[in-house]
Amino acid sequence: MTLIVLVGLAIAFLLYIAFLNGSRNGSLWSETNLLFATLIFYAGAGALYLGFGVTGAESCVKFASLATWLGLIANTAAVAHRWYDAGHPPFSNVYEMLLSFVWALAVLTLIAEKKYGVKVIGTITMPVAIVGVVLMQLLRTSVHPLIPLLQSTWLDVHVTLAILAYAACTLSFAFAMMFLIQDNVKTETFLAISSASTLAIYASIVLICFGRWGGLSLAAWSKDRKVEVFFFQGLRLPVTIREMGWLITAALLVVALPLACYGLARWRNNLSFLTLANRSVFVSILMQGLTLAVLLLSAHAGGSTADNSAGSSSATAAASPFLLTGLLAGIFISLLYLLLLLRRPDLERLLPTTDKLDRITYRTISLAFPLLTVTIATGAYWANQTWGSYWSWDPKETWAAITWLVYALYLHMRITVGWRGRRAAYFAIAGFAVVIFTFFGVTYLLRGLHAFA
Amino acid sequence: MSLGPRSIFRKTWRTVASVEAGVVLLILVVILSAVGTIVLQRPVTSADEMQSAYSPQVLRILDAVGLTDVFHSWWFLGLLFLVSLCIVAASIDRLPHRWRYFSSPYRYPDEGFRRANRPQKSLALVNAKAFEESSLVAAERALQSKGYNPERVVRQDHIGIFAEHHRISELAVYIVHSSLLLIFFGAIVDGLWGWRGTMNLNEGQSSNVVAMRDGETRTLPFYLRCDAAGEENYKDGTPKRMWSKLAVVKAGQDVQKKEIVVNDPLLSSGFRFYQSSYGTNGTLGHFTELEVSHEPGQWVVWSGVVLMGIGLAFVFYLVHMRIWVVPVRDPKTGKLSLWIGGSANRNRDGFEKRFNDLVASIENELKPLTCSAPDGATRFGR
Repeated sequence: MTLIVLVGLAIAFLLYIAFLNGSRNGSLWSETNLLFATLIFYAGAGALYLGFGVTGAESCVKFASLATWLGLIANTAAVAHRWYDAGHPPFSNVYEMLLSFVWALAVLTLIAEKKYGVKVIGTITMPVAIVGVVLMQLLRTSVHPLIPLLQSTWLDVHVTLAILAYAACTLSFAFAMMFLIQDNVKTETFLAISSASTLAIYASIVLICFGRWGGLSLAAWSKDRKVEVFFFQGLRLPVTIREMGWLITAALLVVALPLACYGLARWRNNLSFLTLANRSVFVSILMQGLTLAVLLLSAHAGGSTADNSAGSSSATAAASPFLLTGLLAGIFISLLYLLLLLRRPDLERLLPTTDKLDRITYRTISLAFPLLTVTIATGAYWANQTWGSYWSWDPKETWAAITWLVYALYLHMRITVGWRGRRAAYFAIAGFAVVIFTFFGVTYLLRGLHAFA
Repeated sequence: MSLGPRSIFRKTWRTVASVEAGVVLLILVVILSAVGTIVLQRPVTSADEMQSAYSPQVLRILDAVGLTDVFHSWWFLGLLFLVSLCIVAASIDRLPHRWRYFSSPYRYPDEGFRRANRPQKSLALVNAKAFEESSLVAAERALQSKGYNPERVVRQDHIGIFAEHHRISELAVYIVHSSLLLIFFGAIVDGLWGWRGTMNLNEGQSSNVVAMRDGETRTLPFYLRCDAAGEENYKDGTPKRMWSKLAVVKAGQDVQKKEIVVNDPLLSSGFRFYQSSYGTNGTLGHFTELEVSHEPGQWVVWSGVVLMGIGLAFVFYLVHMRIWVVPVRDPKTGKLSLWIGGSANRNRDGFEKRFNDLVASIENELKPLTCSAPDGATRFGR
């Protein structure tokens, strides 16, 4: 009950701040404000869903659904605002796609909750939605007229299908996670997996971004234009935030703690280390939150120096969507472990049976798979209308095909080989990881024809 | 132990047709295509860029292995060929059995089947010969009301009802697999006989020569003339619309005219002309740059795509449901009952619900019969 009041108060407070801000600027119903409201409601919903998983109080779910509904309304208003402003459906760049994707995800969450009675599904989908909305803050939001290539009905068809497919994949991932929780995956196993993946995230950040003199080297980010700054064709301008590198390294060490304790516990066969590992998860979450906050603040403050020899350009707020996604994902993975750790023995009662969850995961994938197929097919047809070739092994195309193949493998393993339960769930989770890479990774890491999104 | 050629063949066949082989091949395709998106690819990267990205030794190795052009390397194409082979072998291996199942459905359940099949239900009937027939009529009415088309099975010594929905669902997987083969086939045709090139035309100029990427040229069987070309920009300078007015000239006569824009090419006797770019050159005025492509296999690809859509819809959303209704007389007690059995090839829970609905509706149809029974007995056993 306290939780509900707290979350309610937090939502009210944040909305009040936004209201003050908005009324000062004289544009209360701007898209930014609507998005901000969306973010607040989704975050509140996420917290309440998580709270339901921990406390098991039915009222949490009621208020969580309410928050999701309100968030969805704000989200719908933001979509409508965008659509009206741009004069075309919000499908033409990453920002607009995310806007629609988050919307679809919220709708599917509510459907899953009502139709299948999986009440804690929001614990997984809402954080994904939050990451989406936060990422949107970093992307270029200005409305651009459609370039000739995008002036096609196929754009709307192709992107609508893609968004639905991605949202369905996300849902299948959430169901698979629910399955694992219901299936009583040993908390230790999950501890190992979750802390290893968080560790991997931090390790890759340190490896890629640790700059000279303990700085954190990032792609320069132009604040006004919200794009990465290039100083030469295809070469990003690196910028260094001073001292940030040390903080990330410290965070890496803290994040490594749970895994180290787990390793010790296995090695010494000593259970007290496991307790220690669980405690260090709390520390790790705090540290991750701190790192994220400091990074956001120092990036916002600017004053970072560019480290190319010319050294002329500097002081752009540096942040890259990847880094941010990584950091947020780390926090959510750890939080998910907390849910598992604090789960009440009667959580099983709150969730559908493992059998049912297994089947729903499969059902969702059997919805996502045809959608993926048609997405690829319409994309190929459109490419043929535009470039004269239906398949050119462009990275986006190739990764779409890889995603398709991964889910095709899932279906074969399940139907023909008879993989059920845990293995199928892990497969569904891996499939979602590939989807995320296809959605974002390809756009930012690999270059190709599909440059607009 | 003799390993004759026959048994070696059988073993190879088994391996190729197995699911495991397919899975391993698909995993290989996934890994190699991922590599192909990470390593810079020759066809889309300039030589300078390749050299600045990789050291000479690394580049030599990558080139030698074919990693700089994964998607056209012999081993990648070979892999795709093996995948197709695997699909064909798996289909040949399993299709005959499936086909028998499809072409001659199991219409009358024997005793063993009746014992094992789930879901099933037995409704006790009044013990009289006439009730065999009238109960079947009642069941037929119930089935019809549920949208089935019941079929009376009459054998020498027994009668029954068989009804089914969506038998095609049994073949759906093969439809999907053959559609994939069709797409591969179309792509191979295009890989062998298709080509792409560019054509630059000044306003008023006509030509039949297409420049290929490798510096060669190709001659079209007709002339293409550009009557006009233009570009419109948005206020901020980004391009809004590019267009060219083209005419196809055969034997000195205009046979086709079209204004093409970026998403709307001109199609003429198997050749497509796409708007690619537009510009001005000092003395000659405006020119338009066209992309020309010839893809004889694309219609095979599109039909494969459509077939795959249909096949997937069948796979996921059509359930082959079968219902059997048989009056059974217990050999010991001589009691008569109506045995109802059902089977579905997927979504079994959903089917069980429908099955229970159907049983309830048959019970309903049977009620008037049993109420007017001579001895007034209304017995329904479960």
